[in-house]
Amino acid sequence: MRAFDWALLLLLAAFAAVFPFLVDAYWLHVMIVAMMFAIMAASWALLAGYAGQFSFGHMGFVAVGGYTAGILATAAGVPLPLGMLAGVVASALAGVLIGWTCLRMSGPYLAIFTMAFSEVLRITVVTEVEVTGGAGGMTVPQLFHAATDFPYYYLILALLIVSVGGMMLVVASRWGLFFRAIRENEQAAAAAGVKVTRFRIIAFALTSSIAGLAGAFYAPYIGILTPDVASQDQMGLVVAMAIVGGMESLPGAVAGAIAVEFMVEALRSYGEWRLVLFGALLLVTMRFARNGLITPAWLRFRGFASPRAAQLAKEGVR
Amino acid sequence: MQGAPPLIEAVGLAKHFGGIFAVDHLDFAVFEGELVGLIGPNGSGKTTTINLLSGNLGIDAGLVRVRGQVVNGLPASGFAGVGIGRTFQITQLFGRMSVLENMLVPGLARPHAVKRAVVREARQHLEFLGLASLESLAAKNLSGGQQKLLELGRALMLRPAILFLDEPFAGVNPYLRDQIIGFVKVLHEAGRTFVIVDHDLDAIQRLVRRLVVMSRGKKIADGSLATVRENRDVIKAYSGT
Repeated sequence: MRAFDWALLLLLAAFAAVFPFLVDAYWLHVMIVAMMFAIMAASWALLAGYAGQFSFGHMGFVAVGGYTAGILATAAGVPLPLGMLAGVVASALAGVLIGWTCLRMSGPYLAIFTMAFSEVLRITVVTEVEVTGGAGGMTVPQLFHAATDFPYYYLILALLIVSVGGMMLVVASRWGLFFRAIRENEQAAAAAGVKVTRFRIIAFALTSSIAGLAGAFYAPYIGILTPDVASQDQMGLVVAMAIVGGMESLPGAVAGAIAVEFMVEALRSYGEWRLVLFGALLLVTMRFARNGLITPAWLRFRGFASPRAAQLAKEGVR
Repeated sequence: MQGAPPLIEAVGLAKHFGGIFAVDHLDFAVFEGELVGLIGPNGSGKTTTINLLSGNLGIDAGLVRVRGQVVNGLPASGFAGVGIGRTFQITQLFGRMSVLENMLVPGLARPHAVKRAVVREARQHLEFLGLASLESLAAKNLSGGQQKLLELGRALMLRPAILFLDEPFAGVNPYLRDQIIGFVKVLHEAGRTFVIVDHDLDAIQRLVRRLVVMSRGKKIADGSLATVRENRDVIKAYSGT
């Protein structure tokens, strides 16, 4: 990293640290939700963008994390932080199971399979009223009993930094290289000695556990958990965030999630039309900007200072 | 050399697709340091044989042994792990990854590989293959010939005990063909074992001393160039009479 990057990072860190003091409770809530979505979008970007596993079941893992935390805390009396941890573990295990089940699937088959998983999970939650509260939702105790949302803000900020930082380390490691090799050509990756089965399952387990982490935070923060968390509407939103930001860039996906969430809120007065606007934005992005709108803009901006990075991006090295 | 077990050995190897045997109970062995040509008319089962011997296809019957150890049932990565390297009939690269990254994948997949050493080794191979100046280019942006060379380099990064080259001369210009022949010769002289499948008999004859000929999934000849050339079954398989 160059001095420019460090300076920018410090600026961002300082801004993030003082953000709650600059805005009212409503926009603080929007930022907390945006960061929660940022974790979901970045983990989906790692799975779909880097590892090439185009899953539509990501919100299912969020639901597994959320409901595990919620059920353990309310029905079993487990301390909430422990329940949240169990939610992360349960999501990772669900990821291993789904990753193993769909080892031989790719492209549309994988997308439909994972979508079906998420729907089955959602309908199960709706049906099991006694355990989950059904469609009416389940009340989850609060994690903090403070007058403001400040504690939630700093917690989700820490979770975002740790989870995205951890995923960036993975991307930069040999695992990241293997994920991309599998995405590019599974047969060639196997012939090159990459244990394709193992790394596909690792990709699912890792990203599912991080999605579960977001779910485990969501439950006590919102205070009520409904089956809608696993809906395809929510999945579509996460996909849109990652695509607008750039699904082959984790910071891009984070930026995409924050930008989309703030725009959704800022344009709330336009009612349902704002969703039409986002649909159009998504179509334009997918047609004209394969790696999103934010990542190329960022690379172009950085290109002024680093022609080499810009050249690599132009040559299509990902 | 013949006292040691073969480097790779197929015993009664079979693969069928529906009711048709693509490989029909094949016996085939390659010893350390050999450079073998595997030829045959289209559809004779050459590529299927390579796919079976590199774990890219499951075996229906028979055994594959590597240095005397049965390796049946291993995935392709497992075959790579025991030293089986290969290239593909249609070049298979990691298109949106750089040339250097393509080389690093097999290097880092080796157990206990250290990144700095792997990078150095990859650059040495790229230098040898004349691709050093292209290391940061996306593999998809290379020419067809350069892609073939990169695929060879990537296979070398496995430090394979044996390398199967599937049609390395298909669709390449005469200059590149000579270049590939030169690389294979140098690597073979350094002790590398090769099995080369191709239809370019001229190129094959310039490289190998031993030819194995397949037809309709069976081995119909195995020996020196001179004996294979005079084999009636071979003449019949190629002339169709």
